[in-house]
Amino acid sequence: MKLKKILFSSTFITIVWIVLLCSIWELEALHIEQIKRTPEKVFPHLMQIFESIADPKIISNDQTSIELVLTNAYATLERAGIGFLIGALSGFILALLMKFSGIIEKIAFPYLMLIQMIPILGMAPIVFAITQDIGVSRIVISGVLTFYPVAANTLAGLKSVSAENENLFRSYSANVFQTYTKLYIPTSIPFLFTGLKISAPLAITASILVDTLQGGVGLGCLLSQSLKGGMSPFVFWQIIFLSAAIGILSLQVMVIAEKIIMSHKVRWNREKNKNLI
Amino acid sequence: MSNEITIKNVNMVYGEGGGHRELRNPARGTVALKDVNLDIKKGEFISLLGPSGCGKTTLLRIIANLQNQTSGNVEVAGGTPEQARKSRKYGIVFQSPVLQDWRTIRQNVELPLEISHYPKSKRHELSEAMLRLVGLEKFKDVYPNELSGGMQQRVGIARALIMQPEILLMDEPFSALDEFTRDKLQEDLLNIWSRSLCTVVFVTHNIAESVYLSDRVCVMSPRPGRLSAVIDIDLPRPRKLAMRDTVEFVEYVSKVRNSFEGI
Repeated sequence: MKLKKILFSSTFITIVWIVLLCSIWELEALHIEQIKRTPEKVFPHLMQIFESIADPKIISNDQTSIELVLTNAYATLERAGIGFLIGALSGFILALLMKFSGIIEKIAFPYLMLIQMIPILGMAPIVFAITQDIGVSRIVISGVLTFYPVAANTLAGLKSVSAENENLFRSYSANVFQTYTKLYIPTSIPFLFTGLKISAPLAITASILVDTLQGGVGLGCLLSQSLKGGMSPFVFWQIIFLSAAIGILSLQVMVIAEKIIMSHKVRWNREKNKNLI
Repeated sequence: MSNEITIKNVNMVYGEGGGHRELRNPARGTVALKDVNLDIKKGEFISLLGPSGCGKTTLLRIIANLQNQTSGNVEVAGGTPEQARKSRKYGIVFQSPVLQDWRTIRQNVELPLEISHYPKSKRHELSEAMLRLVGLEKFKDVYPNELSGGMQQRVGIARALIMQPEILLMDEPFSALDEFTRDKLQEDLLNIWSRSLCTVVFVTHNIAESVYLSDRVCVMSPRPGRLSAVIDIDLPRPRKLAMRDTVEFVEYVSKVRNSFEGI
């Protein structure tokens, strides 16, 4: 029984995944080492990447490689964050408007799908050409990518309110404001978080991709420089790992925010689990 | 005693020319209620009894102003149902408890007070009295998901009663509960009602339940939904569960059962 509990615990599963991924990586690195002359450029061992992080050698502007990567990451993350907030807020507001008025929903909702269908990342050069500013382009594209998942999920949440609940509020002759703040919006919160969890990593990916369009600061910018051989190849891998970490982190931030806001649910789940064990 | 609710020649047709736009009812184009006439006295406990499709819930919804009748007239407390709803004369209990997961039990019970801007300082006092009444004072700070179905339904009843409504409307409130819990809640409901003296309209499809609880049982029949009999239940109050084993009670049950038409 105890062994079973350990085997199915989430920590154990995480460890298995890490070990599995690392061994696949190392096997591939060994393979590349044998067939290429300069393997560290293409596929270094994990150890080499970690060593490069600790490397105190100054590579540009008085910064070590990891300092350089982190400075650029901050620029990328900041813009992604602003775009994410703007996109999430406008998506949420539009969802409220669509719930409030059937006409707005009819006008807006079918065309919202279009935003999702346009390869907005491909449009990045055009957005850049229009805004003439790489920072603004990052914000715009992160915002647009955030907008749809948040709007569509929140609308689904607002519509999930049961007819009985609506009747209850009607029988108390609650006004529109009360019905929204005490019924519709609280009901839609879990759906809102589903949208936020989808779009947070998307916003960051978008920001990185927009970076590659122009020199300057930003992870994507550094990424294309390092690919062209401008600096140590390990910088490239540091960026890749850091980007992945940021993506996962952004998702985790949403998960934690959700747990804090929906504490009643967490508490209930804990109770339920206690009964099961 | 004066009439609390007067229902005159009420017809309800779903489909063409009738029916509420928002109503989601698959049975379109059917006559849900035909020529219903009923007077409900102040402080009376009345049951609308019938099989599914007899229009009992529709009638309750018309009284509650949750939908409008196609024709006919309904008067509640000297005005229209809409006026009664707007002046918050109704307490409603549905088949499911309809609690809000994100609110504690106490907050759920206080919801009507919040909506009607009742003074904050007095809310706790009232909600605690209500929770005591339904026997849930120990659970005031837990969330609905932590309670059993019967306890959740008690919270729904406490919430419906907290505004001290003139009229309590109940739509099959106990039908999703097991028999033991149902017996207990029926007895509790009678106790609560005898203290509050509100008018109760109770929708059910359980014959024994309607006889046990009511002053009068309105028997409704389907296709078209209509009132086929109104039977006075002259059993003494307060009523105890053991009364259900008496000959009188069983005779009332069979009298009610025999009054159904066309099922």
